[in-house]
Amino acid sequence: MTPSNPELTVNRRASELFASYQRDIYRSTDRLFAGLMGFQWIAGIVFALWVSPLAWFGSVSRTHIHVWAAVVVGGIISLFPALLGLFRPGRTSTRYTIAVAQMLMGALLIHLTGGRLETHFHVFGSLAFLAFYRDWRVLIPATIVVALDHMLRGMFWPQSVYGVLVVSQWRWVEHAAWVIFEDVFLVVSCLRSVAEMRETAERTATLEQEIRTREQAEMDARNAWARNDGILDVALDCVVLMDESGRIVQFNPAAERTFGYAAAEAVGTPLDALVVPADQAGSQHEGLARYLGSGQMAVLNRRLELSAVRRSGETFPVEVAFAPISLEGSTMFAGYMRDITERRQSEAALAERMSLASLTAAVGLALTRSADSRTMLHHCAEALVQHLHGGLARIWTLDEDEPVLDLQASAGYYIGLDGPLVRVPVGRYAIGRIAAERRCRIDAAGNVDPQIGDPDWARRERMVSFAGYPLLLDGRLLGVMAIYADHTFSASALEAMTVVADGIALGLERRRGERELARYTRDLERAHKTERQNAEQLAKLVDQLRVTQGQAEAATRAKSDFLASMSHELRTPLNAIILYSELLQEEAGERGEAGSIPDLQKIQSAGKHLLALINGILDLSKIEAGKMTLSLERFEIRAMIDDLVDTVGPLVEQRGNVLTVSCAPGVGSMVADFMKTRQILLNLLSNAGKFTSDGAVTLHVQRAAMERREVIQFTVADTGVGMTAEQAGRIFDAFTQADVTTTRKYGGTGLGLAIVSRLCALMGGEVSVESRPGHGSSFVVRLPAEVVDEAGESARPAAMAGPA
Amino acid sequence: MWLAAAGTGLSALWKYDNAPGIGANAPTRWPNASVLVHTRGEPTLILLAHPQCSCTPASLAELAEVLARARTHARAYVLFLKPEGFSDAWVQSDLWKTAAAIPGVTLVRDDDGREARLFGSATSGQTLLYDGDGALRFSGGITGSRSHAGDNAGRRSLVALLSGTQAERAATDVFGCPLFASGI
Repeated sequence: MTPSNPELTVNRRASELFASYQRDIYRSTDRLFAGLMGFQWIAGIVFALWVSPLAWFGSVSRTHIHVWAAVVVGGIISLFPALLGLFRPGRTSTRYTIAVAQMLMGALLIHLTGGRLETHFHVFGSLAFLAFYRDWRVLIPATIVVALDHMLRGMFWPQSVYGVLVVSQWRWVEHAAWVIFEDVFLVVSCLRSVAEMRETAERTATLEQEIRTREQAEMDARNAWARNDGILDVALDCVVLMDESGRIVQFNPAAERTFGYAAAEAVGTPLDALVVPADQAGSQHEGLARYLGSGQMAVLNRRLELSAVRRSGETFPVEVAFAPISLEGSTMFAGYMRDITERRQSEAALAERMSLASLTAAVGLALTRSADSRTMLHHCAEALVQHLHGGLARIWTLDEDEPVLDLQASAGYYIGLDGPLVRVPVGRYAIGRIAAERRCRIDAAGNVDPQIGDPDWARRERMVSFAGYPLLLDGRLLGVMAIYADHTFSASALEAMTVVADGIALGLERRRGERELARYTRDLERAHKTERQNAEQLAKLVDQLRVTQGQAEAATRAKSDFLASMSHELRTPLNAIILYSELLQEEAGERGEAGSIPDLQKIQSAGKHLLALINGILDLSKIEAGKMTLSLERFEIRAMIDDLVDTVGPLVEQRGNVLTVSCAPGVGSMVADFMKTRQILLNLLSNAGKFTSDGAVTLHVQRAAMERREVIQFTVADTGVGMTAEQAGRIFDAFTQADVTTTRKYGGTGLGLAIVSRLCALMGGEVSVESRPGHGSSFVVRLPAEVVDEAGESARPAAMAGPA
Repeated sequence: MWLAAAGTGLSALWKYDNAPGIGANAPTRWPNASVLVHTRGEPTLILLAHPQCSCTPASLAELAEVLARARTHARAYVLFLKPEGFSDAWVQSDLWKTAAAIPGVTLVRDDDGREARLFGSATSGQTLLYDGDGALRFSGGITGSRSHAGDNAGRRSLVALLSGTQAERAATDVFGCPLFASGI
């Protein structure tokens, strides 16, 4: 981030420039020394070739060792720093290496020239060259090399450096002192040069900062102008700048689009001559002059709505604001103008919508809150006049008995319900034709009904528009609504009147409906009164019936109680009769009184029949008395069937029948009253055996589904006498057999199947029969696989399960 | 490493420059076979030079210094070797001209090194001083090292002898090119 403090910025920049200068000097001096190294090397070789090209051995010569020394040693000394200067310029190591090498090259040259004092000037020249770096520290290694060279050579080969063989051991100090003497001047020179360089960097940085500041200021100014121009270019409002004389000096694109003039055409033209209507131009000019004279101007800094003129001559409304702009020595005026044509249109449309909404609301109130039809229509007519700015509004309704329209409401210029249009036959006049044609009519007021007796009325009252609407509901004519106005109706107003006409029609229909409803209400109230009287009588009858039913139920219970007690009382002596008749038969047999045995058998048979009858009656009465309870338990069906067959098999086979029993695989167990289930099957098998001779009796057991319940289905079929459909229909009634001859022929009480039916019903099952006379019968018993008693219990614990 | 290489190179160079040549085995009495003239009572100074030796200019410079500083006159010869097969122009080199410019010096062309051999000298720059009696008083070089002019023991001794004072040394190392490829 650029520091915000300019002084800090300048100092930092000066440091950068100073470092850059130093870097440039180091690099350029490195490259200078790279060349100098090469030059010195070559010069040394040339010098060696010139001074001592050959070493002679009598008549034999060869290259002098000085030449090789110049090539090899000079190359060693020169090439490495020269390469550093070329490829790694600017580095401290390069600089210091060059300094050492330059001094070593001096030592070599001094030697090659035989220690000539003149060659010592190479040392001083080299130091001066090294000062080109403007880095006094470089002089230190150079000076050290010189000092060491003189010290060592002074110790071992003094003549090679001092020209004499015997010298003081401190002679090198003298030489080094002279070198240091020069170093002092060079150091001072370097420091001054560095100071000047730093000063130059600071001046340059300051200058750059000034240039940047100036450039920034210029760029800010350009941006400000560009922003202003950009704002004016994209502004949606017209912006016009004028000078003191009212001449346009700037005309933005929005102004070009609005007024139709190009900026080039507008600039230089007085504003009042270009866009101000002629009747306002003078006042605008006077206003400018007044402002320039007094500083007062009524239109300044205010929003005004005025008129302006386009190039096409069209006048349109504009919103205008003028503001003075004070410049040095002059004043300009900025005019901001906005075309408000659309806004005006929107406002007018909004006002109309508000008026129409008010009309709809007023009509709605009239339709819902008026006490009667005529008041309702009167309020509607007044609303039409008020909100549509009508001169006259009238509403007619159709007579219910004849095709005539009766004037019901009138508002506006005439509020009286009189005149020639009080009763208008359908089809006559404009109103009647609207009713006859059932179409609205929008026309000029002067074209409507000149024959009503006052054709000049519309012209006199300046009515220009007429609108008439039939009042229709589901295509049924209810009346006509008409309105005159001194202006042309807009499309929205016509649409609103259509809605109002529909609303009035609905209102009329609602009023008619209300009248009908009132009449129906009265009729209903009368009917309700009659119904209430009938209901009271019915309630009395129901009470009587309930008493009668109670008496009947009590009688039934008394009957059942009687039968139960009587059967019990009868069974005791009957058992004695049966038992003693059996004993008497045995005794008669033993005494040889065979003649009395048939009579005794008849007594025993009659007793058993009577006992069975009594037992059946007892069971049936229990069931009907609601005293028969279920003893539910889970038992294996197959075991129950096997036990049953053992009991009933001899009875069935007694008449030469064949009993066949089959259980479907997986018939499993069921939850039911074991004894009652057994009794059902026992009764059915006994009957089958009784009514079949030399035939077949079958029992088939399987699991089945009935009304989404799993049931156990027992089918008992025989090939016996069979029944007619009529006999089968009453076979389950008590004391009923197929016909009266059956009892005589086959015996029985007529209670077995009735008990079967009751027991099936008691366990939630059913029994049905299919039979044809001479072809046997088939009884089907369906019992739930898990019978549930009235208490909702399914089965007793497993310990109480029936026999397996 | 670079510094070590440079130092080693310079050191080797310095060693070479300070390595003396083969010293003279000069006759102690003036050889009568010499073509050079020895005048009785007059010292005779002989400097044997190789005309192309780059080390010898320093010796000539020192010779000029000696002759200039000597208080007694001495006949001085500078003998330039002329091997067989070499032209006179090869002999009369810049060194010849330098020697010719020294006052009081007689230049002698030593064909095939006969005189050098006669005086037992094998190195350019070898300087011999015979006194007026023909006795050898000094034999050696008059430079401190190869090609290096300047004060040295040989020069000081010669100046002393020619000035009639006690010489510092009667023999010194001689630095210069060999006069013969395979010895004397």
